[in-house]
Amino acid sequence: MSRVLTLARKDLLETRRDRLALLFTLIMPLAFTAFFGIMFGGGSDRLPLAVWSGDAGPAAQQLLAAVQQSDVVTVQRMSQADAEQAVADNKVAAALEIPAGFSDAVAAGQTATVTVVGTPGSSAAQTVQTAVTAMAGRVVAGEQAAQAAVDAAGTGPTQGDATPEQVRDAALLMARPLAAQALALPAAVIKVTEAGRAAGQVPSGFVLSSPGMLINFILFSLMSAGIALIEERKNFTLQRLVTTRVRRWELIAGKFLGMFALTFVQQIILIAVGQFAFGVDYLADPAALLLMMVALSCVASAMGMLIAAVLTSEQALVATVVLTSMAVAALSGAWFPLEIAGEGFQFVGHLLPTSWILDGMRGIVMRGFSVADVLPAFGFALAWALGLFGLAVWRFRLSQR
Amino acid sequence: MSIVEVRDLKKQYDPPKGVVAVDGVSFAIAEGEIFSLLGPNGAGKSTTISMLSCLLRPSGGDATIAGHSVTSDAQAVKALIGVVPQDIALYPDMSARENLVFWGRMYGLSGAELHRRVDEVLELITLTDRQKDRVEKYSGGMKRRVNIGVALLHKPKVLYLDEPTVGIDPQSRRSILDGILALRDQGMTILYTTHYMAEAQELSDRVGIVDRGRMIATGTHEELVKTIGEEAHVELRVDHGLEAMVERWRGVAGVTDASLNEEHAVLLVHDADQVLPRLFEAAAAAGSRITEINVTEPNLEMVFLHLTGRALRE
Amino acid sequence: MRRVFAIAFKDLRSTYRNIPALAMMLAAPLALSALLGFAFGGSSGYSVAATKVAVVNLDTAPAQGSQTPAAGAAIVDILQSPDLKDLLTVSEKASAQAARTSVDDGEDVVAVIIPEDLSSAIFGIDAAAPQTAAVELYQNPTQGIGDAIVQSVVGQSLLAFNGARAAAVAAQGVATANGDADGAGTAAQKAAAAFVHRSEGSSRTLAVASRAPDLRGGRAAKQVGITGLVLAGMMIFFMFFGASNVARTILTEERDGTLPRLFTTPATRSSILGGKFTSTFLTVLVQAVIIIVCGRLFFGIDWGALDAVALLILVAAAVAASLGLFVISLVRTPAQAGAIGAGVYLVLALLGGNFTGTAQSGTTYATVQRFTPNGWLLVGWNEILRGGGIGDIVRALLIPLAFAVVFFAVAVWRFRKRFA
Repeated sequence: MSRVLTLARKDLLETRRDRLALLFTLIMPLAFTAFFGIMFGGGSDRLPLAVWSGDAGPAAQQLLAAVQQSDVVTVQRMSQADAEQAVADNKVAAALEIPAGFSDAVAAGQTATVTVVGTPGSSAAQTVQTAVTAMAGRVVAGEQAAQAAVDAAGTGPTQGDATPEQVRDAALLMARPLAAQALALPAAVIKVTEAGRAAGQVPSGFVLSSPGMLINFILFSLMSAGIALIEERKNFTLQRLVTTRVRRWELIAGKFLGMFALTFVQQIILIAVGQFAFGVDYLADPAALLLMMVALSCVASAMGMLIAAVLTSEQALVATVVLTSMAVAALSGAWFPLEIAGEGFQFVGHLLPTSWILDGMRGIVMRGFSVADVLPAFGFALAWALGLFGLAVWRFRLSQR
Repeated sequence: MSIVEVRDLKKQYDPPKGVVAVDGVSFAIAEGEIFSLLGPNGAGKSTTISMLSCLLRPSGGDATIAGHSVTSDAQAVKALIGVVPQDIALYPDMSARENLVFWGRMYGLSGAELHRRVDEVLELITLTDRQKDRVEKYSGGMKRRVNIGVALLHKPKVLYLDEPTVGIDPQSRRSILDGILALRDQGMTILYTTHYMAEAQELSDRVGIVDRGRMIATGTHEELVKTIGEEAHVELRVDHGLEAMVERWRGVAGVTDASLNEEHAVLLVHDADQVLPRLFEAAAAAGSRITEINVTEPNLEMVFLHLTGRALRE
Repeated sequence: MRRVFAIAFKDLRSTYRNIPALAMMLAAPLALSALLGFAFGGSSGYSVAATKVAVVNLDTAPAQGSQTPAAGAAIVDILQSPDLKDLLTVSEKASAQAARTSVDDGEDVVAVIIPEDLSSAIFGIDAAAPQTAAVELYQNPTQGIGDAIVQSVVGQSLLAFNGARAAAVAAQGVATANGDADGAGTAAQKAAAAFVHRSEGSSRTLAVASRAPDLRGGRAAKQVGITGLVLAGMMIFFMFFGASNVARTILTEERDGTLPRLFTTPATRSSILGGKFTSTFLTVLVQAVIIIVCGRLFFGIDWGALDAVALLILVAAAVAASLGLFVISLVRTPAQAGAIGAGVYLVLALLGGNFTGTAQSGTTYATVQRFTPNGWLLVGWNEILRGGGIGDIVRALLIPLAFAVVFFAVAVWRFRKRFA
């Protein structure tokens, strides 16, 4: 066992001495975190929305007012052509076009159309569409309610020689604010609560993505550990080690321990930055977190060992690590929630230990998971790690040929 | 007619306090001769060759190859020299032929002439049969042959070989040495560095002995050996009374020097055949018995020892 | 010049003989794009799995037997309607606790808990003491998409009820104002019914159409499959690696002795470095062409206008080559080059949006993307995939090219110093 520790210590010492690589090992997590901070930090930006209206009627006015007051979008009024171009140039998330005749159609109970112009496939445009649909729906409902009220209650006695339309309009003038007021204080509302958290706290994008980013990075950092092993093989120091009384499994265990320590330190850095700089509540349950960290380092180190055990050239290693880490990260749900992917993809994803670890970490951060909740993930990951480690021992190549 | 002239060549890394690898080396090589630079590891041989190859900029002094200066006319020099570096410098994932074609192009050869020349060199290094195999699959000796072949493609006027026989089997070494002698017979001038005295002795027309960045002696083998006289080196051990024996032997006719070196008496003698019996007589007369005797005829190793006080291979 | 090409050709041959390098350069981007394509069901865009919803209806029917069904039951019917079958998988639970537990346990993504006072709140139109009932959506915060769908559906249902109630309230007010206080109640009921009738008509009262913007010259923007965008991003990322493989040979050749040997031949330093630059550029150019062709053949990606594609590929190759040489010029050993290069490319790819797509203009992320050459290249790819031409990508060509020139210049300067 002491040989194992000696080996591990040597590896860590070498890592520490290669200053450029060390810098990178420490800088990289920070760069990653900064990137995600940029992407998701600063709360949610309001989506810029170009608005053109060719209708001056009451329904159009109401819709415009609702859009202006929305906290999902910021409105920029412009001409129809400019709005079109703004979307094409990606300067706004989408454009809202309210055509002439909108208010009349609403009043008459006919289909009133507005158009949302957006880049196909853009999620921002999708968000705008949803928001506009809700707002326009309320506007239309208000108008329909007023119209229905006048239909039902009648227009009252005709006065003087006012035309029927004028009489109706007068009644509508009375009905509209009543309807609007009733809608402003609706009888039925939606209350959103989240599992495991105090109601009303919506996690930021960063909180959602931080654990995934952590896993992605740890997988990626297998690179430097793997390269070190390959260099050793090239220098023949590895082979020389075997001519001493070090046994093969001790050699590999020593390397494994070194990689474990390295990835664990990197996790600590990432978690610390996430916790203290971005408010990701990893420390909600430290014991559960520790289990997940150990699980991740075990899996990552075993993976790294296997890759470095089998491959003999740096180039092959870099290629494999990049490809594997990206594929595994994607399949585990680190890049996008698995639920939006197809069934087959989800199935494969849930076979991987990293997706379980990711769920565990997200659970700790957002749903108050405790040790009992993450234990299955821990067990599953450990099983995988043991399997990969076993494979690594079996296939470990001592020479380059 | 000297084709290579080296005048006071110097190289200091990281002046002013850095290591002085070459400290004012001067020598000349006549056309068609083999000149060896002999010296221990770290003497400055490779640095000198690097400067003569236009790989390193000299800190001082200059050298000319066929009149072209290495400092100011490097391009012309490179066209005239062929360099065989100490380590194998080939592309392992390419075949011998592909390597030769590539390097031939670097030397300015092209077209049919290039391919013809490549065939000739392959023949010369006897690798025609394996020319299509990747170099990484070759044995050490084969790699060395290709390594040399590359330098011959453009028929250089001067060939530099930097310790070409280090770490290879005796058979390959023999064929390389024979090849070098054959090239000299065809008129090539060769600069050869080595720390093996036997090679320097066998191959060279003239030898330059370097130590710690300085040229300490140049000349033919005979000239150099003469500097330490034609004395043979005799080492003896006796069963007792060594110190007293050293004094006695000093007085024997034909012994020019006698000293004590740990448990050996070290004598320099003229005409060992005549002197040896006298040594035995002197020992017998003193009641001592010679238990060990070693006679070495004068050679370059002794020259080096004489000049520097250290052995060539330390 | 001949020597430059001799060196370039040698390196090119070496790279394309090297299986791991090929795997990285060609297999990796294609495989990852295929994987993501598989994730999202092919090139036709997102396909979302149905969201699992638990619903519990605690609503009690309104006191008087009226024709309108209990609000709660109506909501449950809507959630379970065949139209929403592809989006929602609904299961009814016996209690609020059961519904919440199923979300906690991960069986369902969101629980819809309809309170017992929903109907009385909606149908009670006593203006003096208006009631509010809240339909609770208890959701799993780690899954973002499904909640939005449920919220939208429930929200629209509630809007219908609130609208009917608003009609009733307004009718009451109008009737009273008309002097018909006795008939106010009847008017209210009629108004509510009329509202429901209006909004349930065979033609809907609101349509929110969506379309793509018209581009310059009246072309309509194409619907772009996700695979094209993903492959463009991956291609650029892996071109960085392809370039660094070749550029790294400068260091390995220095270590193995063939570079110093090159310096002893009549080949000038310029031609030697020029040869390396050329081979790096050609390697990634060939890589890009192969990926583009494979994208067309295997994924059916329509890349767009050929001249624009060609220019974009050339600029991308220049950026990749110069960046690779730049990185190599800063490190000392091949091992460092491998690890550090990979790190640099990953960070650049993240910042430039290679994995996440071009960001919305105006956001911080969009600004950051503009600081990377690959970010600009992606803007260009976005444009031509959507049907743009050369005129639309002028900035996306020139700005990365400027980056390439700077990287190249720094690399040359550093190599000159190193191999003086």
